[in-house]
Amino acid sequence: DNYHKYCYRHNPEINCNKQADQAKLIEIQKNLESLDHNDKQNISHIWSIFSAAPSKQKNLILQGILSMCCFYQLSYISEEISNLIKIDFISTLPVQISLKILSYLDCASLCNAAQVSKNWKRLADDDQVWHHMCKQHIDRKCPNCGWGLPLMHMKRARQYDQVQYVSNNQQLQKNPLSSQNSPKITELNNDSLKTRPWKTVYSERFKVERNWRKGIFKIKEFRGHQDGILSLQLNHKILITGSYDSTVKIWDIKSGKLIRTLIGHNKGVRCLKFDDSKLITGSLDSTIKVWNYHLGTCISTYRGHTDSILSIDSYKNKIIVSGSADCTIKVWHVETRICHTLRGHTDFVNCVKIHPASNTIFSCSDDTTIRIWDLKTNNCIKVFQGGLRGHIGQVQTVIPLTIKDNITEDKPDSEGEDDDSKSSSQFSVDSTFNNRNRLQIDNINNSIVDNDMSESSDESENNDIVDTVIPKEFLDKLPSHMLTSSLDNTIKLWDFKANNGKGKCVRTQFGHLEGVWSIAADTFRIVSGAHDRLVKVWDLQSGKCMHTLTGHTQSVTCVDLSDSRLASGDEAGVVRMYCFD
Amino acid sequence: MAPSPNDTVVLLSSDHQRFVVEKNIINKSIVIKNIIEELNGAADSDDPQDLEGEQIEIPVGNVRSSVMTKIIEWCKHHRNTTFPDDDFDEPNKSTPIDDWDKKFLEVDQDMLYEIILAANYLNIQPLLDAGCKVVAEMIKGKGVVEIRNTFNIVNDFSPEEEEAIRKENEWAEDR
Repeated sequence: DNYHKYCYRHNPEINCNKQADQAKLIEIQKNLESLDHNDKQNISHIWSIFSAAPSKQKNLILQGILSMCCFYQLSYISEEISNLIKIDFISTLPVQISLKILSYLDCASLCNAAQVSKNWKRLADDDQVWHHMCKQHIDRKCPNCGWGLPLMHMKRARQYDQVQYVSNNQQLQKNPLSSQNSPKITELNNDSLKTRPWKTVYSERFKVERNWRKGIFKIKEFRGHQDGILSLQLNHKILITGSYDSTVKIWDIKSGKLIRTLIGHNKGVRCLKFDDSKLITGSLDSTIKVWNYHLGTCISTYRGHTDSILSIDSYKNKIIVSGSADCTIKVWHVETRICHTLRGHTDFVNCVKIHPASNTIFSCSDDTTIRIWDLKTNNCIKVFQGGLRGHIGQVQTVIPLTIKDNITEDKPDSEGEDDDSKSSSQFSVDSTFNNRNRLQIDNINNSIVDNDMSESSDESENNDIVDTVIPKEFLDKLPSHMLTSSLDNTIKLWDFKANNGKGKCVRTQFGHLEGVWSIAADTFRIVSGAHDRLVKVWDLQSGKCMHTLTGHTQSVTCVDLSDSRLASGDEAGVVRMYCFD
Repeated sequence: MAPSPNDTVVLLSSDHQRFVVEKNIINKSIVIKNIIEELNGAADSDDPQDLEGEQIEIPVGNVRSSVMTKIIEWCKHHRNTTFPDDDFDEPNKSTPIDDWDKKFLEVDQDMLYEIILAANYLNIQPLLDAGCKVVAEMIKGKGVVEIRNTFNIVNDFSPEEEEAIRKENEWAEDR
């Protein structure tokens, strides 16, 4: 075939460099015209002899000419040649190789490549290349460029909506990210025609990520509660808020309108958690309620705690875990109707989280400790407390988190750092005292706390566990890290494998001026809301504060984030939503 | 000690040059490796005496001798290298180009082009990967005009098309 018979330059099937050669030929022709007849004839004679010669003789002719050349002529040849030996790799290589080359590019270079020529555009916009780009960046930080893109709602991202993008290469449409992709992807079905090109998906997410980084957002406010906001959660469609006014409100994010108010609790709704079908709320009235929030009906009520419910979590609506001001954690097995009580904390249990992979519960408390519990045996397997680098104030939030990227850690214990933490501790203890602890409104008398457990034996057990290694069978399944926030004004990142498997705090994030009531995190960011009325956005990997958002007139009690938004609620009853899309 | 004829094969380039190569060097090419194995298998089942002393000759009709020299040089250098399965779909494994390979591929565009084609034809995956990465490096970080100059490409867009495509891609510039 022609690819083997001809060189790249003279292959009749390759057209891409011909135009450039054409321009050169016109120039040569012009120069030739300016000569007198004899010279013209001689020169074209030389050319035609060369052109007609077989390959080996051509080389001989060239060798002879080269040996006659002066250096400045050789220099001229060398420059001309470096211009001539240029190959349009992308247009002429087999398509799969060209796509492979393009897949090694970064996003900006790929977008430049799409503007080079029609051939390049066809290949640089190819869905296979951009699918690879998406895989490299979505919900993870690309090790090559340091950028990651938010994992946005999958179906939404691939569906055509108002944006009509006409793709040149729809036959190359591929299946969604999760499915296995073989190089043979030419199947053309009706479903694939409804999905958008990966480049569009990528650019959409790229813009969202850039806005997060640059702090470009639109603000929405949700007003309607009669008293302070205590809890909130959002997904891509709705926001649900719980308030001191003892109601729960469901809001449509796009329109900003109130969809429904759920009435049933007698006191403030301190915590909530919803999924596609159900909403679970925990209240200062000591009860937990499960709602069908689409209909607005209360399905069931759980009673058992002797004081305010401060925190709840659930796993597939089969297990509900609650943390209470009565210092206990209760594990409610919904189907078997069995309830276990976990004792060990000596003060309010502010936050509980189920970590399904390790079958454990994470809890944190006003007693300044964080505990991990085995869901199978209901035993506490690990306590993290004060001491070196631990929290010295009430711990408000705990988030189990597996981090794939390398994270920036604080330098190993140095004197300077100890000074830092000491000075901040001094400061934070003061501010903690100044804080109006919202929960004390209920006039909880800490001394009345249910005393059926022997506190003393508990304490000694604590001390044993504090210094123990996390059991191997858990260590392998636990998340790599956890994040905690405290009224000591700090956010801490803990590494379970560090300190020979005993786990320790590896990073402390300073910046809030008063206690940090709430944090939320995803693959890239931590957001925090504090008593200082500020909301901060932190880079998860580096721990650096990226943005400090002002605007709340009262203490910020709760925060949540999604791929493109963050919501924060305050004691004045206002929810502010920062939209980065 | 020179390798015995049994351990070598002869590759015939497109311009009819003979290259005598050790089998355990050229087996970096999956295509050649398979041919050798096939021939050996056939010889074993038949009379083993048949091929005794006779070298296998493999015509490689679309690789020029100058390119063949480079390919063999590469295989010799990497005779003891075990390459990880560079699973392209696992982006984490997309490693930077090996330093020696980078130097090795500092050749003119025509040679690079032919090495890539030969690596593809002979199925030498790590060399193909390296070649592709080198071309990618030639594109990376360049503006549109710079890319055209690098590869001698003529802009075949109309001014209107060019402007529309620029708009379509400008989101990537600002980060």
